[in-house]
Amino acid sequence: MARVKLTNVKKVYDNNVVAVHDFNLDIKDKEFVVFVGPSGCGKSTTLRMVAGLEEISGGTVEIDGEVVNDLQPKDRNIAMVFQNYALYPHMTVYDNIAFSLRLKKVPEDVIYAKVTNAAEILGITQYLMRKPRALSGGQRQRVAIGRAMVRDSKVFLMDEPLSNLDAKLRNQMRAEIILLRQKLDTTFIYVTHDQTEAMTLGDRIVIMKDGYIMQVGTPMEVFEKPSNLFVAEFIGAPKMNVLKTNLVKEGTKYFVTPCGAKLEVTGEKAKLLADKGIESREILLGARPEHILLADGPAENAIPCKLEVKEMMGSEMHLHVVTEDGTRWIVRVPTIDLDQEQREHLEEPEAELFITFEGKAMHFFDPETEKNLIYGEE
Amino acid sequence: MKNKHSLAAIILLAIGAVITLGGAFLFVNRFAPMWSFSQKYLTDNFIFVLLGVLGILIGVLMLFIARSVYKSGKVVEESDSMKQHMGLKAMSRISNTVIYVILIIISIIWLVPFFCIVVQSFRIQPTGMTRYLFVNPEGNIAGKEGLQIKFGFDNYVKLFTETEFPRWYLNTFIIAVVVAVVQTIIVLCMSYTLSRFRFKMRKPMMQFMLILGMFPGMLAMIILYQVLKDLNLALDHAVPGLILVYCASSGMGYYVSKGFFDTIPKSLDEAARVDGATRAQVLFKIILPLAKPIVIYTVLTAFMAPWGDFIFAKYITNPDSSQAWNVAVGLQNWLSTSTLISEKYTMFCTGGVIVAIPVVILFMCLQRYYVEGVTGGAVKG
Amino acid sequence: MKLNDELEYLKLSKWQKFVYRLRSFFTSIPKGIGKGFLKIGQFFKKVGLAVANEVKDIWTTFVQGDWKTKISFLVMGFGNIARGQILRGLLFLLMEVVFIGYMVLMGGKYLAQLGTLGTVGPHQGYNEVLDSYYTVYGDNSFKILLYGVLTIFFIIAFIYTWRANVKQNKLAEQILKSGKKLKSGKEDLRSMVDDQFYKTLLALPTTGILLFTVMPIVFMILVAFTNYSSNNDGYYSNLFHWVGLKNFQTLFSWDVGGVNYSATFGEILLWTLIWAFFATFTNYFLGIGVAMMINKKGIHLKKVWRTILIMTIAIPQFISLLYVSKMFTLNGLFNGFLMDIGVLKQAVDFWGIPTLARVMVIIINIWIGIPYLMLIATGILMNIPADLYESAKIDGASGWKQFSKITLPYMLFITGPYLLTSFTGNMNNFNVIYLLTGGGPHVNLSNGAGNPGDTDLLITWLFNITQKGFGEDGAQYYLASVIGILVFIVVSVISLIVYSLLPSVKNEEDFQ
Repeated sequence: MARVKLTNVKKVYDNNVVAVHDFNLDIKDKEFVVFVGPSGCGKSTTLRMVAGLEEISGGTVEIDGEVVNDLQPKDRNIAMVFQNYALYPHMTVYDNIAFSLRLKKVPEDVIYAKVTNAAEILGITQYLMRKPRALSGGQRQRVAIGRAMVRDSKVFLMDEPLSNLDAKLRNQMRAEIILLRQKLDTTFIYVTHDQTEAMTLGDRIVIMKDGYIMQVGTPMEVFEKPSNLFVAEFIGAPKMNVLKTNLVKEGTKYFVTPCGAKLEVTGEKAKLLADKGIESREILLGARPEHILLADGPAENAIPCKLEVKEMMGSEMHLHVVTEDGTRWIVRVPTIDLDQEQREHLEEPEAELFITFEGKAMHFFDPETEKNLIYGEE
Repeated sequence: MKNKHSLAAIILLAIGAVITLGGAFLFVNRFAPMWSFSQKYLTDNFIFVLLGVLGILIGVLMLFIARSVYKSGKVVEESDSMKQHMGLKAMSRISNTVIYVILIIISIIWLVPFFCIVVQSFRIQPTGMTRYLFVNPEGNIAGKEGLQIKFGFDNYVKLFTETEFPRWYLNTFIIAVVVAVVQTIIVLCMSYTLSRFRFKMRKPMMQFMLILGMFPGMLAMIILYQVLKDLNLALDHAVPGLILVYCASSGMGYYVSKGFFDTIPKSLDEAARVDGATRAQVLFKIILPLAKPIVIYTVLTAFMAPWGDFIFAKYITNPDSSQAWNVAVGLQNWLSTSTLISEKYTMFCTGGVIVAIPVVILFMCLQRYYVEGVTGGAVKG
Repeated sequence: MKLNDELEYLKLSKWQKFVYRLRSFFTSIPKGIGKGFLKIGQFFKKVGLAVANEVKDIWTTFVQGDWKTKISFLVMGFGNIARGQILRGLLFLLMEVVFIGYMVLMGGKYLAQLGTLGTVGPHQGYNEVLDSYYTVYGDNSFKILLYGVLTIFFIIAFIYTWRANVKQNKLAEQILKSGKKLKSGKEDLRSMVDDQFYKTLLALPTTGILLFTVMPIVFMILVAFTNYSSNNDGYYSNLFHWVGLKNFQTLFSWDVGGVNYSATFGEILLWTLIWAFFATFTNYFLGIGVAMMINKKGIHLKKVWRTILIMTIAIPQFISLLYVSKMFTLNGLFNGFLMDIGVLKQAVDFWGIPTLARVMVIIINIWIGIPYLMLIATGILMNIPADLYESAKIDGASGWKQFSKITLPYMLFITGPYLLTSFTGNMNNFNVIYLLTGGGPHVNLSNGAGNPGDTDLLITWLFNITQKGFGEDGAQYYLASVIGILVFIVVSVISLIVYSLLPSVKNEEDFQ
């Protein structure tokens, strides 16, 4: 239970590769923060600097107000779960979980109580006398979490703990981590490359790229108000459609003109654009697949296109369409919204379709800086 | 189709039978004379007996193959679609036979010298080097009874009662044990450090040792001899000197075990360090228990090396007094001049057997670890 | 022909590809050499810059440091003690005292004489009481050289410690200024088993290597520039002294006291290379062959075959080599056997005919070496992913194609570095040659220092030179040193070339 504060943290490797630039973050007590980003973005490095496994090249890391830069990992009072679990193969599950307590010379009866308690919570009591080799992936994962649990540490670090599990188990463990978090009630830092995990688990999400923080915010914020193109494309699946086009201001109204159509910007977005005093200009228009709608027929605000690929997901359908000028879009349609006629139409090869956008859910980015025109910081 | 297989089976059967019978004939014909001491050239009988046994083995094998070929022919009859598969099977049977023959020959080549040395180690008379193994072609001619060949355990008794051999044996044993312990510790220190720690001098150190290894080690002997002599650790007091020298440079042999340590995931170290272990605790509680195979490999090789080390021991021990010799120097000395050879040749064989037995037994018990180490080392370069 | 496009290469015919690769190999050599020189240049530049930086840093430390720091420049560890790090300070102080003591008592004297290696040799003294002459021993060149080298080592180590001492002061000042606490002695000790644990672990091994490997090598390199020999041993007989490059001239001249050293050296070097080549590759391919036979599907008793071969590894080599060597002598078992069964009418002198002896050495080496290679190859063969073979089979590859397109490239890739080390190891394979033939027969080579024989490798020749006296110098240690240096050069050049060509070094991930 502690506050973790990173100030101007920097990591430069021996070969002068900068892995993390000037990382600033204040993690509140009992907060669940997720670092997310593509591989090589520096998220793991940052976590490992907090753990003390990686030397800090610049800046300070504070845990509970104390600067821990020069402390060994063992003196930082942290617990960590590793991607490949890092269970000690020569010890039984019980010994694995008890290892840290034995190092602290905790009396055996206390150890027993703690280990069995943790095992109970994680549902691995019957495996306590087994060696890790004899466990399945999910069970190993639990042991790794149990090992971290018994430590009563100030901060709980998790480095891609679910990425070695298969999809089904991953969903299950994700739910369990949420439960665990409620039980443990401590500060969590969680690293993942999977945006779904980040969105479902985090109180706050830190999105990183090439060693820079792209955006810090709640899952809602990063989804609805991405501060730049990278965040917009990274969060959400399938990924956001982006097209270079023009923003036109006509009186108090704003329009976008993708593929020759003319679509009005509505809702709060239009107001915010006006507040920012944005004039007609070239923009990158972003629209999430779920915010693209199928139109009934030709209209001013509808773009004609052809169906290229159709992915049936069950509850929804992903339509890959291509417009006359060659632009490709992904449209996500809830299956339940389609009537019989539409379904038959979609069965045709290269079916003619018309798409239109949800006016209030459009995103506008500067083509040069890739910053969000509305939410991007200056 | 059936005919073809049957034909092949019959041909194989015929050849197999001929070879078997030929082998059996050879065996019966030559086995008895081998032990009668009256014929002139008798070693050849022994060889023909061996050939006979080999013939029987190969012949029987061919009979089996003939059977399987015949059977496969039958199967073909039943299901035509399997025919190609079965044809392949018969092919591989034949190539397997060839391989068995080669392997048997290889085994014989590899074992014959050891067989010979054991036989000669039991020979009491004559003591010198001979052209024959069991029977002296000239010794049985009347009037030359002195050359009569005799076997017995006398050499083994004499070796321990009448020669310096026990002393050399003890010297070597002491050296081997101490070196095994110290060298293992040093190698483990070095390889663990180079595998796990990242410090500024790590790469330069490894490159430096690589370059160092390209110098012929023999060069260092001249000066080491002089220095050890100054320290009174050479000549008759060479045992501690040898231990010192064997152990001192053993850090250079870190490669194989570093390769092994590299295969232990680093996250284990990290997990333990987060769990509250110091670096030393990580080594003793996590890494060493996992490194058992490589520890055993290191001990084994370190223990075996001094038994075979000849050149350095010869260089720094006293050539005139055998007090500090090891087995290699001592036994080699028995073969160094023609007079010594005529007196001690069989004794050399006896000594060789005595030296080899414990090492071979130890080696056989720990073979698994040795194989792991050697393979791992080569794969990592 | 220069190819702009990698795809263009694919269009070439087999022959053109071969020519192209050959050409690019040869054109890459001068480039490689050029790069090498550039690297050396950069290295020196880096070192120079580093030294300059150090000096600058020392200067600023002195100028900006407080009085404690300034005194520490003379009295090492003073700053540490004054700031409360007693343990560290005392260690520094102790080192300084020991160093100064050593320099005054021993080092200084030897260092001063290093230029001449001694001036007073053994001479006759006159005892007036007994009215007799006796030998008075003067300087000891050997010790002067040895301790001179050692003293230089110590001075370098001392400068390093002194520098560390200065650095410590600067660091301590900075830490105190920022209001933090310095590490106590107890914490220092604790860090020796934790973050500084590597220093603890490395202390013993590196000391051993420095004293027993580096020092002798430096000494022996220096010996190559003196006339150190058993008759100029520097103390009992005569002093030895620096002779410059004379020994190298000797080795490369046509006629020194009736001996053609350059021819001898050339002959032996050539045979060493031939030997190393055959010893390495015969073992390699035959070992793979045996391993493949044993591992073939459907072969039973795999363990038995393997054990028979492995057992021979366990038997100390000196026993098997000496015994086998005797088996092939004129009145050895092998000749006896061949005569018994009537193949030979007369015994063959296997060790007396140069070419035959060389062939025999290589053959017996196969006998020694196959078991190792069998082991290694078995391990690697088992690691080749089975799906490679499966897909090859589906693609229609025959057994031979599978071997040449999958097994062999995989083996070569994995064992590339091993092949190199085993090649250089064979160049220095003392045991096999010395125990089998002792270097003989002595037919073709002129009888110079070390009495070189036809199967002598450079390394056994070197050894023999240090053993057998020749001419007025006796055992010519200096010549041995020169040969040792040349062996080093040959080995390192070969390693460099091979390393720059090895695929496993270039693209490490190809087969993973």
